[in-house]
Order: sequence, then structure tokens, then C-alpha cells
Amino acid sequence: MQGKPFLSPAEVARELGISASTVLRLIHAGDLPAIAISARIYRVPAASFDLFKAGGVRQPEIAPLGGVKPRPRLGRDEALPAAPRRPLARAR
Amino acid sequence: MATKTELRRYVGTLASILWNYGASFPVPTLDAYPEGDLGFSISAELPGAAVPRAAVLELTEVWSPEGRGQYRRIEYAYEFIEHPLGRRRAFHRHDPDYFAREFGVVVHEHCEERIGVPTCSHYFGLPIDGYEAIRRFLSAWGRPTPFGCAALRCMSEAA
Repeated sequence: MQGKPFLSPAEVARELGISASTVLRLIHAGDLPAIAISARIYRVPAASFDLFKAGGVRQPEIAPLGGVKPRPRLGRDEALPAAPRRPLARAR
Repeated sequence: MATKTELRRYVGTLASILWNYGASFPVPTLDAYPEGDLGFSISAELPGAAVPRAAVLELTEVWSPEGRGQYRRIEYAYEFIEHPLGRRRAFHRHDPDYFAREFGVVVHEHCEERIGVPTCSHYFGLPIDGYEAIRRFLSAWGRPTPFGCAALRCMSEAA
């Protein structure tokens, strides 16, 4: 398990000594952070598993207000794409 | 549309989701901009391989006042730069007037199976929010399978 970046629910179950279905229940309840690869396949980041074991999974908090800052300029590093050429209307 | 309080809750929830996946970043704030807009920026380093650099997930949004204490999201940039696998994925909304006029859409995507070597500079996409961006980025995180850029529709090839 050491050094593995992600764990399967079965591996988490073995580590915790519980059933895989209980692990899935924890995932579905939002108690154990996991990533859905597909509708039925999950993987648990090792960092998330460590937080869970330590009881450190965080609950959402209200973000503090910051000060007045310069507005971010989104897209400033990218050139805008050229529009596709439209055929010229035939002169009558 | 959202109130300032709802936006603060939204930012806090995005942060908690990322922290619970082991991401590292300072506590984000809901900031005010001189023109009266609100927004935030989160730049999170994901755990795991840090060679050549850790994978980075960035969320930036700008919201504009609409009256009655409500704000509307007018710009966003969600970026996932997976340095260990040398690739980039992004979902953007900026310069909406230009994109609407030229392409009939206000959002676009970026997809680089190799960072700095895009096969297309901008792809068509659909609007998403920060939750969906995190979900999409993390579902690809650390997986050897390609992003699938080839399946996207390139704007410069649009006719």
C-alpha cells in the first residue's frame, strides 16, 4: 500500500477491516472522499484515505471576504482563435 | 445567479473538496474588484509525483452585480496542468462577445495531451461550474489514459 497514489474500495476495505460495501456506503455518503472513474468504479486518493483515518476530512466552511484586488484578466495569455472564413456572397 | 453569501459558501465548499483530496493551497477569499465585480482564485497543488512539478488545479471566477444583491458569473478559467504526465486540460469563459460573434458560443476548452503542443488552440465546449470542473479534472488525474482531445471539436475547423 505504501506509496500508492490511489486505492481501490477493496484495498480500503482491507486496510480498515470492513467490507467493500461499507466503503462504498462511506463514499456515497460523502464521508470518504473518492473519485468516480465511471458510474460504478471509484478510487480513493491515498491523501484522502489518510485524512479519513485521522478523522481530518473537512466540512465546507464559508470563505472569508478578501480585500479589493485587481481583477484577474482571464485569457490574457492566449490568442483568440480566428473565425472560420465564410464564403463571400456572390455579386449579382 | 447568487448572493454574496452564497458565493462565499460556494468558494468554501470548493476549497473543502480540494483539501479533502489532499490538495495544498492557502485559504481562498471572495475578493472584490475595483469595478464592483466579485471573484476568487484558487491554485491548488495535488499530492503525488512532484517531478518535474506537482499537478496543479486552478479555479478562477469573476461575478458581476446584477442588482438586488445578486451576482452573475461572467468569466471563468478552470485549469488542470498535470506536470507529471505532461498534459493540460482547461475550461474557459472569457471574451464572451468575441466568441459569441465568431463562433456562436461563449465558452471554450483547451486540451493538450502534451503541454505546449496543442493540436487545436480552442475547442467547443459547454458551460460548467467549479464542481464539475473539479470532478472532470480529478477523474483524469493520474490515469495513463489520454484526455481524448481528438474527440473534441476544434473551433478553427468549424465551418
